[in-house]
Amino acid sequence: MSTKKLVIVGVILVIFQVFSFLVGGLIAPSPTSAVHYLATKCVDVRKHHQNSTWFMPWGPNQCEKIRDFDEAMIKKIEANEIVFAVHIPLPNNEMSPWFQFMLFILQFDIAFKMGNQIEEGAVVTIDVSLAYRDDTFSKWTEMAHSIEQRKLSCNFSTPKTHEYEGRHYECDLLPFMELGSVAHKYYLINMRLPVNERKKINVGIGEIKDIRLVGIHQNGGFTKVWFAVKTFLTPSILIIMIWYWRRITLMTRPPVLLEKVIFALGISMTFINIPVEWFSVGFNWTWMLLFGDIRQGIFYAMLLSFWIIFCGEHLMDQTERNRFGVYWKQVGPIVFGSFCLFIFDMCERGVQLKNPFYSIWASDLGTELANLQMAFIIVAGICACLYFLFLCFMVFQVFRNISGKRTSLPAMSKARRLHYEGLIFRFKFLMLITLACAALTVIFFIISQVNEGHWHWAGYTVQVNSAFFTGIYGMWNLYVFAIMFLYAPSHKRYGDDQSNAGDLGVNSGEEIQLTTTITHVDGPTEIYRMTGKESQE
Amino acid sequence: MEERTWYMGRPTLGSQVMCDNIPGLVNKQRQLCHQHPNMMQSIGVGITEWIRECQHQFQHHRWNCSTMARDHTLFGRVLLRSSREAAFVYAISSAGVVYSLTRACSQGELESCSCDPKKKGSSRDSKGTFDWGGCSDNIDYGIQFAQAFVDARERKERDARALMNLHNNRAGRKAVKRFLKLECKCHGVSGSCTVRTCWLAMADFRKTGDYLRRKYNGAIQVVMNQYGTGFTVAYKKLKKPTKNDLVYFENSPDYCIRDLEAGSLGTAGRICNLTSRGVDSCEVMCCGRGYDTASVSRMTQCECKFHWCCAVHCKDCHEVVDVQTCKALKNIDWLDQT
Repeated sequence: MSTKKLVIVGVILVIFQVFSFLVGGLIAPSPTSAVHYLATKCVDVRKHHQNSTWFMPWGPNQCEKIRDFDEAMIKKIEANEIVFAVHIPLPNNEMSPWFQFMLFILQFDIAFKMGNQIEEGAVVTIDVSLAYRDDTFSKWTEMAHSIEQRKLSCNFSTPKTHEYEGRHYECDLLPFMELGSVAHKYYLINMRLPVNERKKINVGIGEIKDIRLVGIHQNGGFTKVWFAVKTFLTPSILIIMIWYWRRITLMTRPPVLLEKVIFALGISMTFINIPVEWFSVGFNWTWMLLFGDIRQGIFYAMLLSFWIIFCGEHLMDQTERNRFGVYWKQVGPIVFGSFCLFIFDMCERGVQLKNPFYSIWASDLGTELANLQMAFIIVAGICACLYFLFLCFMVFQVFRNISGKRTSLPAMSKARRLHYEGLIFRFKFLMLITLACAALTVIFFIISQVNEGHWHWAGYTVQVNSAFFTGIYGMWNLYVFAIMFLYAPSHKRYGDDQSNAGDLGVNSGEEIQLTTTITHVDGPTEIYRMTGKESQE
Repeated sequence: MEERTWYMGRPTLGSQVMCDNIPGLVNKQRQLCHQHPNMMQSIGVGITEWIRECQHQFQHHRWNCSTMARDHTLFGRVLLRSSREAAFVYAISSAGVVYSLTRACSQGELESCSCDPKKKGSSRDSKGTFDWGGCSDNIDYGIQFAQAFVDARERKERDARALMNLHNNRAGRKAVKRFLKLECKCHGVSGSCTVRTCWLAMADFRKTGDYLRRKYNGAIQVVMNQYGTGFTVAYKKLKKPTKNDLVYFENSPDYCIRDLEAGSLGTAGRICNLTSRGVDSCEVMCCGRGYDTASVSRMTQCECKFHWCCAVHCKDCHEVVDVQTCKALKNIDWLDQT
């Protein structure tokens, strides 16, 4: 491949990169939005709770409400008769499958009272049920019912004296509910805080003034743009993957390890690209969130393994490589760490398929299970650290070998020199683009975390967070694309392999051509042919 | 001023009847009332809340934010005077309206709240905007509507007093904004922070009340500038008022004796604190007229066990306390009796 072609490809890649950022920044809205809900305090006027009724906070058939608990006190309403009702969404809106997921945060407004303070380690027990319906007049259908416990962690910044009564505690956000699909138009949450003094249920939780929920869902517009990006990227990666594998099969020698790994990387990228999410719009697939996590996990594991193996293959020590078994020590932690994260994810998102109110951070089995979960996270963290130590060590080794080889390069025979120069070039090239991609990812991650989410610029609103997602997603796709494209074996003289196998003399005859190709990226593929040959020898 | 809209919390009336019968609304406000009848109820709730807050803040003062019964102007003539107290009342009332509207919004009591397409100037219907990119924040909406509604009265005529009210209204709204708290939640893969959603949460109204109370203490006396477009400080030593400061024109009365013309209820009969040395001390509260001490025996509740709501199990305790109340001026008493 000539320099001209290479430049053209490079420019096209850069254009696509910029394009993928702009799609997110200018077309898509912000990825998620948060909606505030304040629970309406309904009064359950029935004397016996035999059949379940649903309490609507507003609209037709709304419940009997009280404005605050002073009113309840006057009317002699008991705590067990109060139902907190939240209708999702707010009036005049409908939920839509494009929202993909919904998660809810729970917050208590608890007023400080000298005689009624929050006790140490107070736990709130919530009897919660969730219902749905798809039009405004039909009956509510129960979706889930559970009795959940949440640990209150509140602090009161001002001194606890009479003077400061009535001020609110500052309480941490509590995870409340997570739904993996938004298949229905309307949802209704009914919560009760039953009091049982004998069993110490909901005792010593202070004077609750209000219950607030924050509902987070993905924005429909973002989902559409995201799907479009995926749908566009899938065929492009698929095509280059097929092209790449055809190149490899066209060669007479069997593919080397690195080529297989690159191919596997392509497969995992395609796997993550395939827009199966389209189905979530039509079907009520609650496991889509979990499935998405798994796909991402596989890709990350593959990418990390790829880096390790790539470094290993360029170590340029004389040990026999090109076998997967050599790398078990490095790939092991990756697989193990990913597995731990998978278990962790299964414990949270998997259980949430059954009980959307489940949260391992507030697990009702107490702290033991939560500790077990934490252990998984910690193990995964340790694996990540181990991995990076390994990787850094390997990169260091490669560079040490490179500088070692550099000094002895002029003394070598031309074929050997070209071989090593090729290796060095290949390695440095990949290091460069990998570092660039990683740096871009980190920079954009920081920007999106620090920034409020959007920039106003010359009348346009640039959604930084959306740009981050589409841009980075596009970038790693282009990365995989570029690797497959540039590291594919050259097809130009694949026929030579049979006739020239092992013939170093002919190789040295091709020297001039090789030295010219080595200076650009095509070089590595030529060199690869050579190393391939050597391994055949 | 919206304290005249006291009668609004009556949902039984049709919006037409309700809006036309609230005394003291200007045309623009009446128009808004017709458009959003539910808003008026929330504003009505807001009024009770900020009055409670105002009375909490000034419970130990000679002026205790007391409202006048049977008077729809609520504060009598306090507000006719461009005093420091008037500045505070305007500020906290506009803050209270923002607060209650935002609450009502997230409770689903308002029909068209954050997803109002008219506000955004986009052609999409409200469903479209919600599906595509979510709605704007409730708090923004509360602030915008409160501004449109509360300021409508002052927009009618632009005299010095209107400018002062507008300034203090804005200070009140800013005070709510000041205590918005940014809260975030990470919800990426396995709870990682790749996806993070943030929102603004409102702190409890007491914080706004405390803040405005401090601003009341540091309120700045101003006069109109010579062009009639803004304020200059009344005394050279004072600093220029910022948008967060409360401003006023006239000095307050001392609120010692009942003088309805000046907007003062007087402190006769108010309970004072014998041990205190501050504004609630008997010396200061009673303006040197002296106080009566009465021994009161009362039943109080003690050793209470509370539930989170509504139920309190207490023992009844008996206690005898001395209560000091301020004496009234003799001749005023005599005048009242006739």
